[in-house]
Amino acid sequence: MAITSIKNLKEFSTNNDRFEGAHTLCPGCAHSMIVRELMNCTDDNLVIAANTGCLEVSTAVYPFTSWDTSWIHIGFENAATAVTGSEAMYRARKKKGTLKDPNAPVKFVAFGGDGSTYDIGFQWLSGAMERGHDFTYICLDNENYANTGGQRSSSTPIGATTSTAQAGSASYGKKEKKKDIVAIMAAHGAPYVAQLAPNKWKSMAKGFQTALETEGPCFINTVSACCTEWRFDPKDTIHITDLATDTLMFPIYEIINGHELNILYRPKNVVPVEEYLNAQGRYKHLFKPENKHVIEKIQSDINEYWDKLQRREEARI
Amino acid sequence: MAKKYDINEVEVWDGNYAASQALRQAQVDVVAAYPITPSTPVVENYGNYVANGYIDGEYVMVESEHAAMSGCIGAAASGGRVATATSSQGFALMAEVLYQASGMRLPIVLVVVNRALASPLNVRGDHADMYLGRDSGWIQIDAFNAEEAYDLTLCAFRIGEHMSVRLPVMVHQDGFITSHTAQNIHPLSDEAAYKFVGDYKGVDDMLDFSKPVTYGAQTEEDWHFEHKAKQHKALMDSRTVIDGVFAEYGKLTGRNYKRVESYMMEDAEVAVVGLGSTVETLRVAAKQLREEEGIKVGIVAPRCFRPFAFDEMADALSGVKAIAVLDRSSPGGAMGAFFNEVSAAVLSSANRPLVTNFIYGLGGRDFSIQEAKRIIREQKAHADAGHITTQIQQFSGLRGPKLGFFEAKRS
Amino acid sequence: MSKGILAVDNRGKRELGADKLVGWDEVTQGIVLTSFEGDAANIASLKAEERTYSDFNSYTATVASWRVIKPIYNRDICIDCQNCWVWCPDSSIISRDKQMLGIDYDHCKGCQVCVEVCPTNPKSLLMFVEAEEIETALAQWPEKKKN
Repeated sequence: MAITSIKNLKEFSTNNDRFEGAHTLCPGCAHSMIVRELMNCTDDNLVIAANTGCLEVSTAVYPFTSWDTSWIHIGFENAATAVTGSEAMYRARKKKGTLKDPNAPVKFVAFGGDGSTYDIGFQWLSGAMERGHDFTYICLDNENYANTGGQRSSSTPIGATTSTAQAGSASYGKKEKKKDIVAIMAAHGAPYVAQLAPNKWKSMAKGFQTALETEGPCFINTVSACCTEWRFDPKDTIHITDLATDTLMFPIYEIINGHELNILYRPKNVVPVEEYLNAQGRYKHLFKPENKHVIEKIQSDINEYWDKLQRREEARI
Repeated sequence: MAKKYDINEVEVWDGNYAASQALRQAQVDVVAAYPITPSTPVVENYGNYVANGYIDGEYVMVESEHAAMSGCIGAAASGGRVATATSSQGFALMAEVLYQASGMRLPIVLVVVNRALASPLNVRGDHADMYLGRDSGWIQIDAFNAEEAYDLTLCAFRIGEHMSVRLPVMVHQDGFITSHTAQNIHPLSDEAAYKFVGDYKGVDDMLDFSKPVTYGAQTEEDWHFEHKAKQHKALMDSRTVIDGVFAEYGKLTGRNYKRVESYMMEDAEVAVVGLGSTVETLRVAAKQLREEEGIKVGIVAPRCFRPFAFDEMADALSGVKAIAVLDRSSPGGAMGAFFNEVSAAVLSSANRPLVTNFIYGLGGRDFSIQEAKRIIREQKAHADAGHITTQIQQFSGLRGPKLGFFEAKRS
Repeated sequence: MSKGILAVDNRGKRELGADKLVGWDEVTQGIVLTSFEGDAANIASLKAEERTYSDFNSYTATVASWRVIKPIYNRDICIDCQNCWVWCPDSSIISRDKQMLGIDYDHCKGCQVCVEVCPTNPKSLLMFVEAEEIETALAQWPEKKKN
């Protein structure tokens, strides 16, 4: 029986983990917080596909698997296609009556990092969304290719230093704006699209449940603070994520049917972005006098985007 | 329930239509596809069956060939029958995931309508795509005409899905020459065809929730070698299964296939070894030359490009003095790959024939009976002289100055 | 605290990567790994100690050697809020029936997230060096901090 509502954490904690320990993700990694929450917010059977990335290389290293559900990894780019292939097979076999248990509830989920979602797997994701399969794609967005040593992706924000967009005497790090993946996915006409964060566990669980229960292709971008590449102490993963949501660097919101935008978290006191930037090694260079303009630019981009989200929420367009 | 399709004892189908009918008769559960010339009609015909209620399965039109094979892999790991089709650039785009399908031991059937690889861009038939697949761990079966494309597509399901094989299978046919040329075909009835193929039996089914499985785990230097060895063993061991399936199909249809097809080899003094529709041209040329000039020539062709019939190839060529091996793929700075394989097989036997290599027919350049005859006559000349009288690798059917490489130093 | 939950027989015995390296004839077909022995259709309704994990399941392995510091749990202060449970990245907070029971030291990597998110005063979870005895740690637990 599907879990319909989660009133509080105590109740949530009675669910049995289906994502097992002794995986090899870094200590303090937010990926596994997000994955655990997805798997714990439902009792349904799951078919999960993962793109190549931290999650994949750390949870299925022969002869070990950390997955208590059906799971497949093919390549860097094609988890959305792999899981929708499985979903198509489910429909075919249901029609033909060849499923072992035709009444067993099942949900199809794909995980990808931002590298595989925003960059190399973008086409595969877009195709799967357009085809209208009944699945949920979850991006674990840590804003870089963390699995291979922290190269820039099109999700890396302006000003962050990465191994392929380095800050130095002639550069303040990445020059280009982060791709707005949530807007792009909403533009596919997806019935449910959201940006969620693990520090706000309740809205994340609710968003996951909504996506799983919504028929059709759903997309969720989750903020996954990366202690290794963002350069903060592993114990601070939730603290950094709090700063990400309270500075509105990562606004928490959902878009239903491509136009009904709902802001899911409004910080009582919006924190200036300096606090978020100052807590991470990847932004350290921005506090040199010559890079002051970059912080100003980041703050004004945040203000502009927050304003836009609020206006969209009001206008319902 | 799918509508019944009326089928005649003799149909006039081209290779693409024949392959699509075989997919329909096998009642494939999921076809995930992206069309490309010249295999497009396989997917289009299938779309026609879908649109008119002749298919119960799912038909997923994806956004690229890479996605087509990725979708096929996800579907095949979910306990049902899966097939698709492609050619050339699409095959090349699929290349990454072809290795994943075989490594995961998923019995997907891929109809490959052979076409040249760019650059320069070309839509016509040569074997560059087929060669690109040769280390991918798939079984590769080669049809020389449209009826064979039908027969071998049905056989492919049986072979790949066999419990001791569980490997993906490509069924090759030549672009346009086979895929777009209609001929008389004697199909099985839907009932007989399905009975031959049988119900799909799942292994490590992702939709069997009583046994959760993890597909696609990472292996490094401590495990990768053993997994690849096990996979190679399964591919090598598929030879006996292929023989068995061909024998059973022969009983059903009277059409008997062998992993190495020999034509007029009983008393042959010289032989030509080729692939694809060229084999039929070679057979006509050989028959005529035997009658016209008394040359004792035979034609040998592998039905299975992979697993390569090393023993049978050596046996088939054990009595000849000179052999030409025809490669329809640009060799890229070496002898033709097929030449190398046939030569290695021959080298394992006591026979030491004179083996030469022809690069021919690239980009769909026509291969005529006259050209075949010229090649056969050259073999006769080598045999008579007791040494190779030409360069060892020659381009055949090429405009401009004669192009060839490597002089024979033994005379 | 139930010993059966914190140290299940088939858990924590093997270091990751320290397995018997079997030959090509014994590796699994298609690199497929099965997560459980026997029928696992109702796995979501079973607690860890009720499951029949296969040897391939990482639950049966340990990453304890990654740790240089470890969290120690003080039952007397804990309010069972489950913050540590929801944010533990290593499925290492053992909660049963809305109660926090302790730490799964086979799977805990010592990241200290549980300590950081613990809301009690003093905290119900604190970090100690790996060799610290639990009794000693509890004996020296800090007093409640005044604002």
